[in-house]
Amino acid sequence: MAKMKTLAWSTVVATGILTPALADAHGIWFAQRAKQIAIIYGVGADDLQSVKRQPNMESVQAWDADLNPVGAQLRTDGSLVIVDTDAPPTIVSAVLQNGTWSKLPDGEFVKKPKDEVPNSVRSETTIKYAVSIQGPLTKPVPLIPAQTLQIVPVGAIPAMLGTPLTYRVTFKGKPVAGATVINDMVNDPDAKEVATKADGTVTFPVRNQGLNVIRAVYISPTDNPTKIDRYEHTATLAFTLPHAPEQ
Amino acid sequence: MKFTLFAAALAIAAVPAYAHGDDKPRHGGQVVEVGETVFELVRAPAGVSLYMMEDGDEVPSASMTGKLVVTTGSQKSEIPLVAAKGNQFVAKGANIPSGSRVGVLVINKQTQARQSATFAIK
Repeated sequence: MAKMKTLAWSTVVATGILTPALADAHGIWFAQRAKQIAIIYGVGADDLQSVKRQPNMESVQAWDADLNPVGAQLRTDGSLVIVDTDAPPTIVSAVLQNGTWSKLPDGEFVKKPKDEVPNSVRSETTIKYAVSIQGPLTKPVPLIPAQTLQIVPVGAIPAMLGTPLTYRVTFKGKPVAGATVINDMVNDPDAKEVATKADGTVTFPVRNQGLNVIRAVYISPTDNPTKIDRYEHTATLAFTLPHAPEQ
Repeated sequence: MKFTLFAAALAIAAVPAYAHGDDKPRHGGQVVEVGETVFELVRAPAGVSLYMMEDGDEVPSASMTGKLVVTTGSQKSEIPLVAAKGNQFVAKGANIPSGSRVGVLVINKQTQARQSATFAIK
């Protein structure tokens, strides 16, 4: 979105030595709902208001197995936000500009920048990113420019749960150290976060013989200190392992 | 859109699969199951047919629009599907070579709900 495009990213250096991320960051991820590709907003079992946030969703994109772009549009379907694609997609992605929040001394958050909240103890702009692998690829998962923070699988996704899989977390297209990652944002949201190494990698066993949603959080410095203290970036990677045939 | 392809690795094998209905071909074609939906693609001299079953029931083709996205080598083309009798869609005169990858996209006219599947043509 224009807002993000105008940010002076030149002040942001991906050193990975910034303030540790929140442990309970909400995010967006892709999941199947009634056979449609839905964008879910929430954390854990909290499947929250995505339709309300739809106007702030942007950079909705899709690609086929050869990484050719496929048209993609959002559609409201009752309480769901659905991604419609013009051809079968292999990868879909989206970004949610989730606003600027200031934390009060009592721990509550208000949706205002810090110059409007005199007693703010911390103000941040939060941005959510999501990528989903929907089908077999003929090429590696690409870095998507709109995904400022992105989780990329290193190697093929295994067929069975329990198999180790390495992910590389990138910020602005480069591996980033110090991003904090959990293996299952939906079913184990309070898991101990693991920081990415200097090469941006982290390794987990694939947790589910079904939907897997990996989450990474990275904090980058402010470029507008009168308004915010920092940016909080939250990225997810979703993929599905097939279950056994029905007997 | 330009990508930076990231490091090593290829071939992601994560595909939703395994239907809950009858997955045997009923028309001598090739079958792909996605969840509870069974797609059957039949290649014949007169053209291509697609049949769709859902949870054991035929899906009336008249309620849907559809197309095939065919990738053969480096060539990619789209073939519109026309509703025929029952759960049959047809693309008269279409010829899909063996070795092609065929994406199927069908859209429910009423709800706009979409379903897709991918065939690796034998």
